[in-house]
Amino acid sequence: MRKEFKGMVVCLGLVALMAAGCAKDEVVKKDEPVVEQQTVKQAEPVKQAEPVKQAEPVKEEPKQQEATAAKASEAVALETVYFDFDKSDLRQDARDALSKNAEALLKQVADAKIKLEGHCDERGSDEYNMALGDRRAKSAANYLTTLGVKADRISTVSYGEEKPAVQGHDEAAWSKNRRAEFVIVK
Amino acid sequence: MKLILRMTLCLALVGSLATLAGSATYIEVTAPGNRLLKLAIVPPQPLGATVQPDLANEMAEAQVFDLTMSGLFTAERRDAAPLSQGLGLSMVDYVPWLTAGYDLLIRGEYVLRGDELTVEFRLFDVLNKKSLLVKRYLGHRADLRQFAHAFSDEVLASLAGEKGPFTSRIVFVSSQSGNKEIFLMDWDGHNPQQITRSGAITLSPDISPDGREIIFTSYKRGNPDLYKRALSSTVEVPVSTRPGVNITGAWSPDGSKIALALSKDGNTELYTVNRDGSAPNRLTVTHAANLSPAWSPDGTRIAFVSDRLGKPHIFVIDANGGNLRRLTTNNGNNFNPAWSPKGDKIAYTHMVDGFQIFVCNIDGNGETQLTSEGSNERPRWSSDGRLLAFSSKRNGAEAIYVMRADGSGQTKVSRTAGKNIHPVWTPRRQ
Repeated sequence: MRKEFKGMVVCLGLVALMAAGCAKDEVVKKDEPVVEQQTVKQAEPVKQAEPVKQAEPVKEEPKQQEATAAKASEAVALETVYFDFDKSDLRQDARDALSKNAEALLKQVADAKIKLEGHCDERGSDEYNMALGDRRAKSAANYLTTLGVKADRISTVSYGEEKPAVQGHDEAAWSKNRRAEFVIVK
Repeated sequence: MKLILRMTLCLALVGSLATLAGSATYIEVTAPGNRLLKLAIVPPQPLGATVQPDLANEMAEAQVFDLTMSGLFTAERRDAAPLSQGLGLSMVDYVPWLTAGYDLLIRGEYVLRGDELTVEFRLFDVLNKKSLLVKRYLGHRADLRQFAHAFSDEVLASLAGEKGPFTSRIVFVSSQSGNKEIFLMDWDGHNPQQITRSGAITLSPDISPDGREIIFTSYKRGNPDLYKRALSSTVEVPVSTRPGVNITGAWSPDGSKIALALSKDGNTELYTVNRDGSAPNRLTVTHAANLSPAWSPDGTRIAFVSDRLGKPHIFVIDANGGNLRRLTTNNGNNFNPAWSPKGDKIAYTHMVDGFQIFVCNIDGNGETQLTSEGSNERPRWSSDGRLLAFSSKRNGAEAIYVMRADGSGQTKVSRTAGKNIHPVWTPRRQ
């Protein structure tokens, strides 16, 4: 279940991702199919000094079907959901985004499994932000289930403040970093 | 690191031993109003053919920093002519030191044969014209800072009744290698070494009470899981890989349990588990976040962070659950509690002008702000409670700093590049 595929939001496009100064993705890459993701990785403006991760004892599993699933999901834009400072309850714009995402998950990619990543801005202690990111991911996941997406299609992970979408130390950056992102894993 | 550190305690003067036995401490160093003792540290003189002033100076400078940070002395390095007969046979001439206003004097001698280093240090009471302490250290050249720190520890034991923390090291998180990994350095920042090489985000280390094993949270399998490894090994054993967060692990003072925060059942709650991660015992039941446990030194209570009242505050609970009470009464946003080794204080981070380090009594009274420059987080006490390590963002990237428990002497110690955070002291190494 770890070989998730980051087929996220390709509609937004890698370009947008890069423009946003997308954070390094060191962790998730780990157990993913090496070939695929290497390319994505290189493309990102990752911080330079990062040594390429030594291949872990990767558990091999057939990655093909994921690739296809990911393909299908490329047609789907799953919107990122944003939060207020130190909050995990859903604003109206978050509910709207989640409704659209639910619709896509029920109709366009009805077989896709998703992972919700909870993130925080850099304020607050980093440990506390781990708990806050967890709450944000679960808050979004709960709302999705009330909209009919089966709970067993959804998993969550908190990254706290470790993977900001935008670098910066002002509200403009912070507001983009307090978020729950969707990742199609299967 | 197998350090051959053999110490020969030969308290030279039986008379001073008797004095020591008579009172708990040799000098009433902590009495209010007392001036700091003036301590001269002369770099050890060579005994034998190999003369290495750099080596001698490095040891003296290490001791100057140690003993200055202890808060008991104004310590300075002073160069002096070598004693012609060596330390053992020469009579120390106290008069010049007395005239210059010194209370105490450290001299030493060393022998370097190839890589093998032997050092002897002596502490003298200038006022009473006698030797207080003699220690000899045998090992290798690479151990020289360790020898200097070991003697600093003994100086505090002899003068203040408790060993110093200067042979301790600091475990911390550094992004020097690109992502956050666990590092280890001497307490004064020397000899940094990288411990984990997971290539994944690694956070929140804690060290076992015997100083042998660390626990930490790592994303190496995608989820923030808790791992354990011996410092001497590269094998990382999963301790808690439950769904959700497995964060802020804290070893109990007797080493038998680990307190940590888990969100396996929804929100983040506090648990204790056995050291292998088994037998979870849930301590908190809320709809809020509960995390960052800090054990009292007797292992009966745990301070932690909870936002059950809205903003995060520090609470204290019995280690088996129960007897919950709120510690901080300020306007909220308190994090990273650390219980002092004497049990009387709790240090923590409070959000005001960025983050600042505060300390209060265990009844929550006496809140005192210790830092104000830049943004400062995550205080951790040295084994003797005299010092606090913390991370500070004040001149560029976050670095590890140390200060005295009253907030004085704030000094950057980490030398690693990148962001350096999450310091925790190891026990002293002897």
